[in-house]
Amino acid sequence: MNNEFDLIIVGGGPGGYNAAERAGHAGLKTLVVEKEVLGGVCLNRGCIPTKTLLAAAKHFHIAKDSAAFGVDAVDVTMDWSKASKRKVKTVRALVSGVKTKLKKNNVTVIQGEASFISASVVEVNGESYSAVKILIATGSKPFIPPIPGADSPAVLTSREILEIDHIPESLVVIGGGVIGLEFASLFSTLGSKVTIIEMLPEIVPSLDTDVAALLRQRLDKSVSFKLGARVEKIDGNTVSFSDSEGPGSISGEVILMSVGRRPVTGGMGLEDIGLNINRGAVVVDEHMRTNLPGVWAAGDCTGKSLLAHSAYRMGEVAVAGMLGKKDRMRYNAIPSVVYSLPEAAGVGLTEADAAKSGREVVVKKLPMQYSGRYLAEYGQEPGFGKIIVDAESKVLLGVHLVGGLCSEIIWGAAAMIEAEFRVDDIKEVIFPHPTVSEIIRETIWEF
Amino acid sequence: MAQEIVMPKLGNTVESVIIVEWRKEVGDSIAVGEAICEVETDKATVEVEAEIAGTLLAKLYDVDDDVPVLIPFAIVGEAGEDVSGMLTSDTPASDASRLQSEAVPVQKSVPAAAASVVPDAPVSAGSSPTGISPRARNLASSSGLQGLPAGGTGPGGRIIERDILSALEGKAPLTPAAMAAGGTTPTQGSGIGGRVLAADMGTAPVSAAGTATVGDPSPAEFPGQVESFPVKGVRKLVAQRMHDSLAETAQLTLNASTAAASLLSWRAAYKASPEVFGLTKVSINDLIMFTVARLLPRYPDMNATFHGSEIKQYRHVHLGFAVDTPRGLMVPVIRFADQLSLSRLSAETRRLAGACRDGSINPDELSGGTFTITNLGSFGIESFTPVINTPEVAILGVNTIYNYPIETPEGGITIEKRMGLSLTIDHQAVDGAPGARFLKDLSTLLGNIELAAAL
Repeated sequence: MNNEFDLIIVGGGPGGYNAAERAGHAGLKTLVVEKEVLGGVCLNRGCIPTKTLLAAAKHFHIAKDSAAFGVDAVDVTMDWSKASKRKVKTVRALVSGVKTKLKKNNVTVIQGEASFISASVVEVNGESYSAVKILIATGSKPFIPPIPGADSPAVLTSREILEIDHIPESLVVIGGGVIGLEFASLFSTLGSKVTIIEMLPEIVPSLDTDVAALLRQRLDKSVSFKLGARVEKIDGNTVSFSDSEGPGSISGEVILMSVGRRPVTGGMGLEDIGLNINRGAVVVDEHMRTNLPGVWAAGDCTGKSLLAHSAYRMGEVAVAGMLGKKDRMRYNAIPSVVYSLPEAAGVGLTEADAAKSGREVVVKKLPMQYSGRYLAEYGQEPGFGKIIVDAESKVLLGVHLVGGLCSEIIWGAAAMIEAEFRVDDIKEVIFPHPTVSEIIRETIWEF
Repeated sequence: MAQEIVMPKLGNTVESVIIVEWRKEVGDSIAVGEAICEVETDKATVEVEAEIAGTLLAKLYDVDDDVPVLIPFAIVGEAGEDVSGMLTSDTPASDASRLQSEAVPVQKSVPAAAASVVPDAPVSAGSSPTGISPRARNLASSSGLQGLPAGGTGPGGRIIERDILSALEGKAPLTPAAMAAGGTTPTQGSGIGGRVLAADMGTAPVSAAGTATVGDPSPAEFPGQVESFPVKGVRKLVAQRMHDSLAETAQLTLNASTAAASLLSWRAAYKASPEVFGLTKVSINDLIMFTVARLLPRYPDMNATFHGSEIKQYRHVHLGFAVDTPRGLMVPVIRFADQLSLSRLSAETRRLAGACRDGSINPDELSGGTFTITNLGSFGIESFTPVINTPEVAILGVNTIYNYPIETPEGGITIEKRMGLSLTIDHQAVDGAPGARFLKDLSTLLGNIELAAAL
């Protein structure tokens, strides 16, 4: 086997495999080094398995709670092992899809751990591979904070909880971010008694505060929240914390540690080849170039935006640069989605961001019930559309939605932000009727 | 009474010119024949001279503006005269009838050349000031541009060549917000697909490589006083041509020398000839040009132009020669040099060189060469690498005449006058051996001018 390539990509997750596909398609002789399974965390232990399980939870919820629609189902049960098998099948199908696409684009894939010998030579399984271009796409892993007892067998991360063989009777979620919220939503819908412990005064701090507040309100029926609570220690199945009311403790059959993720950059010799790494993340510019000529990085390992779709785009920006095309990574219009029940989706500036930057904005907000389709399908379930525009130029800055399948709508708002649409421009866009997306049209006419 | 001065048509192919420099400011008095401004065509820079006297009352264009020919570009009249009535808000040539009745053509420095082109003055400009220039129309149709730009940047919204060029350039579109923001538009933006965002407006183009743009060198790098000059006019043309030439061709220089005794004795004979024949001014350079023009028809591959997928060979020799002018290098062309007698070629050389030096050269005489000669002999240069005047495929450099020791049959040493020749060929079109053969024959002829005279 000839070990010389045009491009070596270390990491077969969304940042890596997508870039490999693009590079291979463009004619670069490309090698992907993956230490576990192609598809990375997203396909195998993140986005896809959680969405498969959340789909099961959604069906369970609809079957059980559709009396208002005139549908009365009796003896609705949940077979967790069947749902888990379906999850495995879905993941397998997608992983083989990635394999097929890479093969189609003449990308070579080898399994093994890469270690960097130089900025152009990588050693895998004792064999050296060289390329003039390297893309580092090593991803991230769950962060375990140094809390006494964090190594208790009851403590799981997102990785392990996806493999759990039953629905836990009770679940304590440490960290009310997107990951914690999705698992809380999943298991509470399926009957677990769930508590979320969040250190900050509000959950999902990355989202607009109105969105977070409504999500919390919607989940409040089945999930308890301990906000502004600092976890002190874990003792077996009991989590001790302190909040404004003083110390407290709560027990659960399972404790999910979901306080965040950290870039994976250690143990590969990256420091030894002179790569600029800051607080564990590979430092990149807007073209995803590192400080080393011929070395790019994409995805979670850059610590910039730990989302699969950001990784896709970063990988594409990097490959465009390798091919001499002009492209740059923009972070102002990356959608963020919480696939809880209900869903929340946002893109662009939040109201808090605007206040922090001192930018003058105008905000309009309407309940989702302004959309006929929403009313028909979700009735009075609370939800809203919120739009933020620049006070002077009326350029669209942010769109935040809760309710319905808003994850499927938000890309349109991202495109409008990328294109710097103003209020009057959006008014000219035709939205299909009746759809939930019309909430954007309705809200924009409030300006 | 104030009169509009129209930009003369500075050559048959010139549709518009760019103002390089205003020589007169508003309020300055202008005498007939004085230069009002210096303009640049795509071939040369030329001074535009006034044909009427008066005071410059208004400049209708700024430096770097592209001015279509036969369009008013300045107003001249009596000092203090009110010309506001003649200045339309943004369309210097919007009133076609006035243009025809009042416009006063100015002549450029060569009266003969100017006279022949001025009469057809009103054609392009007068009838349709808001239309499209012929050059723009040709470019639009030849490039297959779908639809014309809504408005042009020429006077009265006339579409001129640069409007078509920018339409063709595929300039990145502006986002609605960028359009509303206004300001200067960079060719490339930082938004999706290179779209120009509001934040990009009025800023320098985003560097694709992300590297800092190179600014002025810091004082630490170049201590002491620094003067900087804008690259414009002839300098700009020369810079572009030279760079393109070296970037696009495969240049190879062959050096040889020829015995100079024949050249020197013929030159001495002409100088001493009776005045009545008008041959006293024939120079060594004229003799070399004459010889080259006579030899080239035998070497069609040297008298040619290279166009990538095509080489054109010419039956006749249109001989360019480099002229050092106060404003930089210019290369006028002697048409049908192979057909001219030595005395006519000599006279034509003097005429063209003079026109170049005083800035009155007709731009049409600065292009269309099939071979070029450049002579640095008078500076004592012994050998150099002339840069080809593309798309020509060869250029002959003439060096100084020097004393060369040779061994006599008796074993002693004698001195021979020799002259160096440096021939650069474009190896894309001409190989080394044919080039060397040409140079060898040329050496022979120059060493024996009587042979050249008989060809």
